[in-house]
Amino acid sequence: MVNVGDMLVGYATDENVRKRGASGGLVTAVLAAALEKGLVENVVVMKHINEFEAVPIITNDVDEVLASTGSLHSVPVNLAKYAMGRKVAMPAKPCDAQAVIEQAKRGMIDLDNTYIVGLNCGGSMHPVTTKKMLVAMYDIDPEDVVGEDIEKGKLIFKTKNGEEKAIAIDELEEAGFGRRESCRFCTLKIPVNADLACGNWGVIGDLAGSATFCQVMNDKGVKLLENAIEAGRIEVEPASDKAIAIRAKVNDVMVNLGSTLEKEIFPDIPDKERMQYYMEQMEDCIDCGACKEVCPVCACGEDSKCTMFHSLVDNYKMSMYHLVRLLHLSDSCIACGQCSDVCPSDIPITLLQSRFAIPSQRKREYTPGMNVDDVPPFFEVILK
Amino acid sequence: MAEEGWEPKIVAFCCNWCSYGGADTAGMGRFQQPASTRIIKVMCSGRIDPLHVFNAFLEGADAVLVTGCHIGDCHYVNGNEKTEVKYKFLEEMLQQLGLEPDRLHLNWISASEGERFANFITDVTAKVKELGPSPLKPEGVK
Ligand SMILES: Cc1cc2nc3c(=O)[nH]c(=O)nc-3n(C[C@H](O)[C@H](O)[C@H](O)COP(=O)(O)OP(=O)(O)OC[C@H]3O[C@@H](n4cnc5c(N)ncnc54)[C@H](O)[C@@H]3O)c2cc1C
Ligand code: FES
Repeated sequence: MVNVGDMLVGYATDENVRKRGASGGLVTAVLAAALEKGLVENVVVMKHINEFEAVPIITNDVDEVLASTGSLHSVPVNLAKYAMGRKVAMPAKPCDAQAVIEQAKRGMIDLDNTYIVGLNCGGSMHPVTTKKMLVAMYDIDPEDVVGEDIEKGKLIFKTKNGEEKAIAIDELEEAGFGRRESCRFCTLKIPVNADLACGNWGVIGDLAGSATFCQVMNDKGVKLLENAIEAGRIEVEPASDKAIAIRAKVNDVMVNLGSTLEKEIFPDIPDKERMQYYMEQMEDCIDCGACKEVCPVCACGEDSKCTMFHSLVDNYKMSMYHLVRLLHLSDSCIACGQCSDVCPSDIPITLLQSRFAIPSQRKREYTPGMNVDDVPPFFEVILK
Repeated sequence: MAEEGWEPKIVAFCCNWCSYGGADTAGMGRFQQPASTRIIKVMCSGRIDPLHVFNAFLEGADAVLVTGCHIGDCHYVNGNEKTEVKYKFLEEMLQQLGLEPDRLHLNWISASEGERFANFITDVTAKVKELGPSPLKPEGVK
């Protein structure tokens, strides 16, 4: 029996999956069981190409799911859009789960058909930054990397000739590498908005490194776990009080760090200088539209206000495209960082957007992507 | 600073049923007001998309006024309540962008409030005159 609110530690019964899994292979086993037992028709997982490259795939092949074990810290793609219009189970970082819920609020995803296996997330890295960092800080040729791990605040790379090198993440970030900016100020590290919240925080003692901590968030989470237990794919046991306390403590530290970094990342800009600041930031825009294309909370489709009423010929002092987006996303932006990641001109769009979205959301005590029943402030007035 | 003799250009969005009537009444009642305003009539203030406000600024408006019926009087039930929701976001956004708050106003004006309309225009014009031309005004537009 599994209940909502349970705190469990578990692992895949398949030794191979357990060993290859990021912690205990539980996530993979749960996803595979959901597919096998017909709970869902498809599963979204990451297909590895190498340490810095992976593509999300939508599959109904259990073997493909079983092959997708492991956490890719340098593949910051958001998976929400892959869940649209399907009956799926998917792994989800907190921001993936937030985007799924925002899409559900806008009628683009049916949550009843979407099983969200949440992954704790301390942050991800941009693949290009990671490669540069390997050369500059680790003195390792990115081609030689065969594995990567995070342990005790250190980022560890393993090379094909068996060497290992660890550097503290703080040190990497001070040198301008490390996690993406949006991850640094993020304060949602445990995906309490998903159906299950899985991670390695709180996995201690004999099980350290070979089990997954799992919090059951709702009925769908219960279903996912019971289904996987029934299929014989996982074994779980209650987490000890100590394990639960450790997990909570690490989370607190990370959340506090996020809040502290937010102040550093968003220094105040005086009223009179802000317009100039935004104009300078946006003047490199080449109008490619990639930031809209990847935005996981945008539910507008191809023909939308930001594009239809925007023309370079207007030669405006500020781009209509960006103005519309800055306003439009102020209640829904989850600061996932996708737009900054893909910008070919390196405009820190997420940071710009957050300067608008964060205060607007806080003022309304609204956090997007947490609960599908929270009405987006823009939809506040409904016909009585 | 503004050039000598510079007059601000103000775009006022007025709804067909109330604030446009207010502007009319201001004229009929011969209330004095500066000739700074260009009125754009819409059926309901709820039709005013933030996009229209951006457009006005980007085309050279020095201030934009969003006006409509008093809350409860909207001729389309609650169009103006929707206006209010959008307006609040818009107001916060333009302030964050660095545009002076005095360049954007929301006001509910009924068809009989001619004097209120004229006073509103007079006040805003004076404030904007002090601020000078909008930083979003395109080069070459006065
Ligand atoms: C970027 C990232 C950062 C993380 N940081 C922490 C942390 O700080 N603390 C913590 O306790 N746990 C963290 N985790 C979760 C942890 O690494 C394990 O994923 C979790 O413990 C589940 O382990 P598992 O063995 O059951 O998963 P596995 O069985 O190995 O399954 C992992 C699943 O994650 C999917 N996946 C891999 N990379 C990504 C990605 N980039 N985005 C979305 N899905 C992906 C795979 O497709 C697979 O389905 C992080 C995970 C990621 C992806
Ligand atoms: S009709 Fe005047 S605000 Fe709706």
